[in-house]
Amino acid sequence: MAEKHPEKLTVIRCPICEAVNVDYGGSIRCHRCDSRIYREPRYGLGRTWALLITAMIFYLPANLYPVLQVKNIFGGHTSNTIIGGIILLWDQGSYPVALIILVASVFVPVLKFVLLLYLLISVRYPVSESKALRHKLYYLTEIIGPWSMVDVFVVSILTGLVKFDRFKVLAGSGATAFVLMVFFTMLAALSFDPRLIREYPRKRSPKKEKDV
Amino acid sequence: MAQHAQYEEELERYVICPRCNTLHQKIPLPPGKRAVCKYCGTILYRYDPRYLDRALSLAITGLILFVVANLFPLIQIDLLGNEQHMNILEVISQLLESGYYIVAIGVMFMVLIIPAMVIADYIALIVLMRLRKGEALTRDLLVLLSHLIPWSMVDIFAVSILVALVKLTGEVRIHFGVSFWALLLYVGIDLYLTKARRIGTLWELRNRIYHG
Repeated sequence: MAEKHPEKLTVIRCPICEAVNVDYGGSIRCHRCDSRIYREPRYGLGRTWALLITAMIFYLPANLYPVLQVKNIFGGHTSNTIIGGIILLWDQGSYPVALIILVASVFVPVLKFVLLLYLLISVRYPVSESKALRHKLYYLTEIIGPWSMVDVFVVSILTGLVKFDRFKVLAGSGATAFVLMVFFTMLAALSFDPRLIREYPRKRSPKKEKDV
Repeated sequence: MAQHAQYEEELERYVICPRCNTLHQKIPLPPGKRAVCKYCGTILYRYDPRYLDRALSLAITGLILFVVANLFPLIQIDLLGNEQHMNILEVISQLLESGYYIVAIGVMFMVLIIPAMVIADYIALIVLMRLRKGEALTRDLLVLLSHLIPWSMVDIFAVSILVALVKLTGEVRIHFGVSFWALLLYVGIDLYLTKARRIGTLWELRNRIYHG
């Protein structure tokens, strides 16, 4: 059904211009926009792993170190981690905002890690039969990615806005880690080669697959 | 891939669903109608003969709004007679001043430089297409646009402003500047031009313009 050209050629969607291209295997260039569509798939896999692991490492300081510090004139100094900020908002009764930050900064990155790990593992091991499902998951990782920036932007806005003599808001080192985490997660998602979903795991038996 | 050129014209008659990766044959549409994926309902393409004119006027409006959004304060707060205000440039300079260079660079690219490039790219592209000039240049501009769009995050920044304000309610008086409304309108235009319309639509328009 899908991905089969009428003349029994395999076709692939150019990630840059969305044109339909014939997949001759190996490295190909899009006939419409001349972008290099894919490199040797195996190398691409290693790159995605590397970027994803980097992002996951940055996730730890992003959550353990404060993203926000408040300083006042009397030398008082409080700092908040992401989770601490969410708890504070919840206690103040701002439930919707607490939920937005919880979803955007805690759940979305973890969901993206899990989805990418699942895709990377399913390329190597037969954990999932459904290729359509994996394509949908890949689409999802692309859509939700940037929303994890909400908390960094909130901290930046507060830094730019709350700079009174009496008290001021400063970013924290967790914010730096957070920016780097989002950056590397996005690169990992962009570097994932969806062609791998179709090609791997290599079929051992010539069993007919329904959803190819 | 010159030896495969015979497929190119035929490939233009097909489209692959971005969400579930299924192959579809394009059908001619009446003006204003859209084609959706048979399996998952995602919009595949539209036929919109007046799109270039509308996109040009919207992109120019967007450019003006984006300039206005950066000229004046977005938000002003008032604490016991002390006033502070912020816009994107002030946020960046404040982050640089307090030493959070990576966060500052992240905000600068995602909220200022890349959105400005997207809108400049869009205007140049449509003007060239209207004049039927610079075929090779429009290709490069479209490829650049595809690379830029995932990193443009003004929409998320606008949501973050609202989240930041919720954190401040009750402690300070908040005034919205004219730039805030300009930014919101800009976000609406940006979403329409870069997210609601698929980049493939622009490539098809380009094909129709330069190759009859």
